[in-house]
Amino acid sequence: MGLGARTKVLLGVREEVVGALTDKVGAADFGVGDTELRGALVTSGHRRLAHELLCDISDYHERLILRPLPQSTLLASFNFRSNESSIAFEQQNFRYFPRSLGQILQHAHTKELHLRFSVGRWDAESWGQRPWHGAREGGNGVELWAWIEADNDDEAFTRWQTLVNSLSGLFCASLNFIDATRTIRPVMAFEPEGDHRNASNLHLLHGTLPHEVVCTENLTPFLKLLPCKGKAGISSLLDGHKLFDASFQTMAIDVRPVCDEQGQDCLLEMDQSVDMVLDVVRSKRPQDNPIPRPPPIEEIQCDSSKYYNAEDTCYPFNSGAEPSWSLKEIFGRPLKGACPLTEAGEGSETLCINTPPERTIQVETEGQFAESRTSSDTVRCYKLPVGSNFDLVLPEQQMTTGLVLPEPPLSASRSINGHGQERGSAQSVIKNPSSTDAVEFVYLESLPWFMRPYLHTLRAHVDTTTENPVKETFYRPAVDRQRGSHLEIRMVIPPASTLTLTYDFEKAILRYTEYPPDANRGFDAAPAVIRILSPNRSGDRKGIYLRTTPLLLSLPTPDFSMPYNVIILTSTVMALGFGNIFNLLVRRFVGVDEAPQNGGFKGVLQDKIARLTGRFKKS
Amino acid sequence: MALISTLLALRRDARVQKVPPYLSALLVVVGIAWLFLLPLNDYSRRTYVSENALLPAQVHTYFGGSEHNIFRAYRQEVAALAEWSVPDRSKKLEDLFRESNLKVASQKYAYESSNVTKSNENVYAILQGPRADATEAIVLIAAWKNMDNEINYSGVALVLSMARYFKKWSLWSKDVIFLITGDSTSGSQAWVDAYHDAHDPATIESLSIKSGALQGAVAVDYPAGTWGHRYDKLHIVYDGINGQLPNLDLINTAVNIAGGQMGISSTIQRMWSHSDSYRDRLQTIFRGMVSQSLGHATGPHSAFISYHVDAITLKTVGDGWHDEMSLGRTVESIFRSLNNLLEKLHQSFFFYLLLESKRFVSIGTYLPSAMLIAASFSIMAIAKWVESGKPDDIPNPASTKPPPKKSSSEKPDSKPSKEKPSSEKPSPKDDPSPEKETPPPTKEKQEQNSPKKEPSKDTKKETSKDTKKEPSKDTKKSPTTTSPRPLSLPLLLLLTFHFFPVFLLFTFNNFPLIELPALFQTTANVSTLLPLALSFAIRWSTDTRPTRREINLLQSFSLLFLGMCLSTLATINFSLSFFVGLACVPFSFVRPLKSYAASGVCYGVVALLNPVLLVQMGAKFAGVGIMEVLIKAAEGWQVWGLWTQVVVWLVWFPAWTVAAFVVALGFWEAE
Repeated sequence: MGLGARTKVLLGVREEVVGALTDKVGAADFGVGDTELRGALVTSGHRRLAHELLCDISDYHERLILRPLPQSTLLASFNFRSNESSIAFEQQNFRYFPRSLGQILQHAHTKELHLRFSVGRWDAESWGQRPWHGAREGGNGVELWAWIEADNDDEAFTRWQTLVNSLSGLFCASLNFIDATRTIRPVMAFEPEGDHRNASNLHLLHGTLPHEVVCTENLTPFLKLLPCKGKAGISSLLDGHKLFDASFQTMAIDVRPVCDEQGQDCLLEMDQSVDMVLDVVRSKRPQDNPIPRPPPIEEIQCDSSKYYNAEDTCYPFNSGAEPSWSLKEIFGRPLKGACPLTEAGEGSETLCINTPPERTIQVETEGQFAESRTSSDTVRCYKLPVGSNFDLVLPEQQMTTGLVLPEPPLSASRSINGHGQERGSAQSVIKNPSSTDAVEFVYLESLPWFMRPYLHTLRAHVDTTTENPVKETFYRPAVDRQRGSHLEIRMVIPPASTLTLTYDFEKAILRYTEYPPDANRGFDAAPAVIRILSPNRSGDRKGIYLRTTPLLLSLPTPDFSMPYNVIILTSTVMALGFGNIFNLLVRRFVGVDEAPQNGGFKGVLQDKIARLTGRFKKS
Repeated sequence: MALISTLLALRRDARVQKVPPYLSALLVVVGIAWLFLLPLNDYSRRTYVSENALLPAQVHTYFGGSEHNIFRAYRQEVAALAEWSVPDRSKKLEDLFRESNLKVASQKYAYESSNVTKSNENVYAILQGPRADATEAIVLIAAWKNMDNEINYSGVALVLSMARYFKKWSLWSKDVIFLITGDSTSGSQAWVDAYHDAHDPATIESLSIKSGALQGAVAVDYPAGTWGHRYDKLHIVYDGINGQLPNLDLINTAVNIAGGQMGISSTIQRMWSHSDSYRDRLQTIFRGMVSQSLGHATGPHSAFISYHVDAITLKTVGDGWHDEMSLGRTVESIFRSLNNLLEKLHQSFFFYLLLESKRFVSIGTYLPSAMLIAASFSIMAIAKWVESGKPDDIPNPASTKPPPKKSSSEKPDSKPSKEKPSSEKPSPKDDPSPEKETPPPTKEKQEQNSPKKEPSKDTKKETSKDTKKEPSKDTKKSPTTTSPRPLSLPLLLLLTFHFFPVFLLFTFNNFPLIELPALFQTTANVSTLLPLALSFAIRWSTDTRPTRREINLLQSFSLLFLGMCLSTLATINFSLSFFVGLACVPFSFVRPLKSYAASGVCYGVVALLNPVLLVQMGAKFAGVGIMEVLIKAAEGWQVWGLWTQVVVWLVWFPAWTVAAFVVALGFWEAE
């Protein structure tokens, strides 16, 4: 593959960046190049930021980071952050913070909220480390967790219900289906990101909807929460057609309180982010003609070195060049200048692209813009013009260098083994690619009640040692129709090893009204959440996360069709017929006057005695 | 009440007891005739697509144009691999997939059957659907070598170019897995076993990447070389292992798309020309039934069906004008249909017989045929049981059980009965081991209850009828009265006959290849003579046993077991049950004959029905060597999880042995 030549790359840059990382606390965690970038741009972390911001009352930031990935894909990370001081928030005095969400949070006494909408899979093998170290992504479908202030568990759950029902209306998602069976209270897997020194009695509740289809109707309310509402700024690029055509896409909303050291002046920070991996070739297709018709043969570059190359035989030539693209082509609409609400200064450089320095980038705009380069020129940032369109055009280019993709700390896959209607086993394979560091992590599994794990069959096996990797286990068994199983395991995986975690489970039989309309599809089990405890490379409170794919569990399903009804009816008739015939065969029918006179228990006893004596007499 | 009493009294009517053999024969005749009615229009239906989500042939297909040039290039690439070693070939195929930006992995596997180890390698690539969440997947398969051992050049090339082409689409809501198996049967078996983690990791490599639950699989078999070959029809192969079938909707979809959208006519069961006449339909059913009853793998798709993954193979046949692009478009359209599925295929039929590609008989219509035949055995079993309850007509002076004692069975013998046999033994020779003789009395004891009750019941009934009818005094001594049945010898023989073939089952499936012909010859010869020898041995050692009643009991148990097994089997593998039932029909009617000539003729007929000989004759008729059958059977047992041998050795063979043994007894009784 063409990549081989490019992997020599900017190793020097990497070292430098890792060094830079250590003293820049709170720098966003966006892979190596980006760490540097964010560190430089956001002026060393949010602590200082908070200080600055407390002087102002509220502010708004947005940033789009583009990074070409291998196999002609492009990672686009949108991040929008709006702050509101706690006092203003309490008084319902909203400026950048959306009122609709703020009131819900107040009503449900929610102190910290994390909401995720995700589709697709992050291909860690070719794309490397996850954006934000996985802290801003969720499992497939919808995932929600929140810290709720309440006096006791019951009150917390009532408020949680209020929260999910309100959010359900706000985001047009079936969040209201997060009921008691889909709610867990994680112990180790999540830590609050905000400062909660002022709050007491916080309850963490977590719910998932793995089968929720995330689509445009969820994006529209998401954009509405933004101050520029998708009309200007980087959010004007977000189009449902392209976003949901991405290979990987996740939308996140995080609300948390941020306080200064004394815990006095607090502000409420809302972080909205969208990460998507676009297939450049697929995204470039015009919206009115999205069908990938085979191109005319003249447009295909053939590999003429093949001996069989002829007019009718063409082996497609893969030059390995970076494909050409522009923002307008990729996102299907132009970038309509900067959002006027973004503050001036360094934070106004809202569009950054992370490519090798040799990559040609042309800017097309009629307005004024500014370009700055950081991290050995691997990051180029642009200050967008206000009120006029802005476009980046990258021509097709043969590259000699490439970016180093940071290695993910762990990779995990989960699958269901076995077959049949009664039992199965789930298997998670977790690999530690690092050759030096052991990784400690928490594995959280939230299973629906109809998937009953046998905990005694839980086996964790590491291929390099015989030592038990399990350090701590938390298990809360399911109660039928009331709550699901909740399993959390703290484990340590040695360097360069593979950990295999398996457990058997039993499939419950549901009542026939409990089956959904698409009963034969199977039932989704939520993705497992893996939180890496050490080494903590992210350096902030967001943590490092990783999620597996959801599972499709096939339960024994009755045949809800006409033949099934026929069988039931026939069986009933047969049973009735059988009962009658059986009675006729085994019972003796006599008239009332013919019946033996001495009835009752006494009669039976006498009869038995008579029989016994008769038998003895005979013998 | 009167009606019931009459009905109950009818049980003891001598005329009624003559009915079962005729009834049994009638059921067999009806059962066979039933099958011949199926091809008629009134008893079969046109196929229809039941699952609305499939929407077959509703999409435009775009595979064509420059893709054809690329396909030809891939075919050249594949053709160049023909002489390569397996690891090199796998590596090259992996590279070809990787150029299309797919996740690629390979799997080594080795199987041992008949002491011959076959090892090969599967290569597969996963296209992660942009709208999929890794919960569902559909599989496109091309075996490197097809069932006729030809290299599947164009099939493999088609899978490679489809992989490249599918990758461009953004509409996949399921993952698409492209699988190139090392061979047609074991390769896909190894892959699908490993996919469900049901494999032996010692010989079969685990899969390094997986996707979600498999929803369907389509295999292409198109062995045309670099110059291509224009074909006439698509042959849709659908038989799974152990006679399991894919959902009819999948076949309908394929037939519908090939015929309606591409104009390719499809055919099934090697019926290259099908005039839709009664004869052709019957022949199709017959071929389908033979294939189903053998339960062997008929293509790369077969292994999938065992895991409830609906799968078919599309094989190009004949000389016509359809080219590789129309096959590609058919595959494209089928995959678009499968991609539409919201649920696993479940709407349509899983049990059916196809008369042609667009006509079928469902289980409700055809099942009675095999069930009637199975029922004929059960009826005869009951008849024999009733018959065995009758005391022997002529009291045999040498019998171990003195008849007068038995007919007056009113006498309860609870404890003294244990002494009875030893005290009344006429000669020690009859009974070499006293322990062996102990079971019968205990069993007799259990049996004792029934005769004891029955007469009393009779008397009671008669007293109730007293007012209407004069009670006949001699009911108790009427020939219909049951007496204790001698169960020990029949059960002992039955168990011997049923457990001995376990040894054969083991040897045939495990012996090395070179010893198989000798083993088969030995089994054929020995099994033909064994009943004769055994009957002689028993007659010689016991002089008079087995008595007529013991023979009846032996036959009764044997037929009961046969009927039970066949009726159960009929619901799972109709064809196997039907054919085994058919071959066993005479066993209901055999009994020891009193002349050498008659016994000889009868034994000859039964010997011809020996499963071993029938299998050999069947193989010869089908034009396959018996060795091939044995090798395939052993492979089936070791690799595919084939159960046909179990039915042959543990159901059919014991039934035959019992029948042959009964007939052979006639020789020693003949005067």
